[in-house]
Amino acid sequence: MLVGLGGGLGSLLRWWLGRMVGERYHGNFPLGTFLINVSGAFAMGYLSVLFDVDWRHRYGTALNAGVLTGVLGGYTTFSSMQLDAVKLTGTSGSLPAGFYLLLSVSLGQVAAWLGGALARAQA
Amino acid sequence: MRNFVALVFLGGGAGAVLRELLMLVIPRLADNFPLDILVANLVASFLLGLVTALCRRHVVSDGINLMVGTGVAGGLSTFSSFAYGTVVLMSASAASVVVASVYVLISLFLGYIAVVCGQQVARRLFP
Repeated sequence: MLVGLGGGLGSLLRWWLGRMVGERYHGNFPLGTFLINVSGAFAMGYLSVLFDVDWRHRYGTALNAGVLTGVLGGYTTFSSMQLDAVKLTGTSGSLPAGFYLLLSVSLGQVAAWLGGALARAQA
Repeated sequence: MRNFVALVFLGGGAGAVLRELLMLVIPRLADNFPLDILVANLVASFLLGLVTALCRRHVVSDGINLMVGTGVAGGLSTFSSFAYGTVVLMSASAASVVVASVYVLISLFLGYIAVVCGQQVARRLFP
């Protein structure tokens, strides 16, 4: 239940942010999905560590499921990233598309790691 | 506009529940390879490629495209678990760095193929 609710909210947030970015930025680079995914990865790293350290015993797994699996999972997207890459191959070639995928993943990993490190530093 | 909000919300919720079910059903492999997330991401990529191509051919409406593509496929797939999962895996041991790298490359490669496959199916069905 919580996962569905969170997933719906996360998806709405993604849709809304994607539109906001799309209205302001008109280049070929899929900036909206990129920003969404990297920020979501940061939040995932931060909250995962935070919940593990402090909250899991108090709130059980319902909060984890609703926020991590639901909101963040619904907010970030792997499928749109791949569709972006296929589109980018069409407009700019396969090299920029591959670059976009690898840049998303590596910055997403750095963001997730930073999020976790921040949570540990506060603990 | 209000209808679109409901479509994205319902689709995204359904996608996330589907992912949760996949995570419960699909076992983690012995070397911690996150097979559940990979399957969710690949199915979602295929679905997104399919529905956007169908929408471009006017087989399905913009509303369906929004609900299934932005909602279900977006909710089913996840980047945050994907990225954080690899970071956790990489910090575990030297061997799991290899597993994590293979996981990333397989995910990216197969995800791309899955979108193209979805588009091709739409193209074959509705030339």
